[in-house]
Amino acid sequence: MSSVNGAVPTTIIIAGLALAGYALVMTARNRRMSVPLLAAVGVLEILLLVQVGLIVARLAGGERPAGLATLIGYLIAMPFIPVAAAFWGLAERSRWGPAVIAVAGLVAAVLMVRLHQIWPVIHV
Amino acid sequence: MSEPAAPPEPRASQPDSTRTGPGRLLVAIYALFALSASARAGVQIATKFGHAPVAYLLSAFAGLVYILATVTLAAGSPAARRIAVVSCSVELAGVLAVGTWSLADPATFPDATVWSGYGSGYGFVPLVLPVFGLLWLRRTRRARTLRMTAASAEDAGEAADGGAGHGRDGGPGHSAEDVVADGRA
Repeated sequence: MSSVNGAVPTTIIIAGLALAGYALVMTARNRRMSVPLLAAVGVLEILLLVQVGLIVARLAGGERPAGLATLIGYLIAMPFIPVAAAFWGLAERSRWGPAVIAVAGLVAAVLMVRLHQIWPVIHV
Repeated sequence: MSEPAAPPEPRASQPDSTRTGPGRLLVAIYALFALSASARAGVQIATKFGHAPVAYLLSAFAGLVYILATVTLAAGSPAARRIAVVSCSVELAGVLAVGTWSLADPATFPDATVWSGYGSGYGFVPLVLPVFGLLWLRRTRRARTLRMTAASAEDAGEAADGGAGHGRDGGPGHSAEDVVADGRA
């Protein structure tokens, strides 16, 4: 059970870091926002929504972490990270658009570690 | 909504705006810290204020400073720039003061703030961020002055290089140093 549970956060960490690496390469090569980059952001968004769903299911099952308020804050904020980054990055017509996406990827990875700290049953 | 293959726009992104170019990245990171610091402080103050009042109030203050810096850097008007300089300076002073305080007197900080240990809990980004903010404000001010000078001296033909880093190195392939503003993965 716990390995199944840990699959999504682990995937998010890998996907987030991969997205950040890809976006930073785009920045280094002086590229703007592109469709493949946006698609990758979309994948990250879906993964984050799945993770939110899994945690909400656990909460609905009656389990509670010590820091419930913080966890709920994370659940609300998490899905907005890729969306906000995509809009903000798209507004930029230079290499710094992908740089914004890189931040979103790194943040997604860090969020998974923080989730585990807030509620250890969320395995990474 | 996105047309990445669009032709290069030579001067569409004004180099004097604090929001564009590297400023885009800066505002994004500021927004992140504005959200995390203020949300965290809100939760802490609402649920367990008595546990570490000093730390939580400082977190709330840090959150406000980050919000102010985010909004003013994104706005970029002359008035906003002045407020941004003040908030970045306050932020730098805050992270240095609170960082030192938290190391000298850990008992006051049973729970961490964003600025504890000079932002060590956040990869020292809180320490680096105001420095980049102030540098960016300075650089865009210079570009702005250049541009205004160029505009007033109508026929100064070669002065139009406004100081923007991008646009000059036209194609892919160049670009080296200024990439890794956040290269800590």
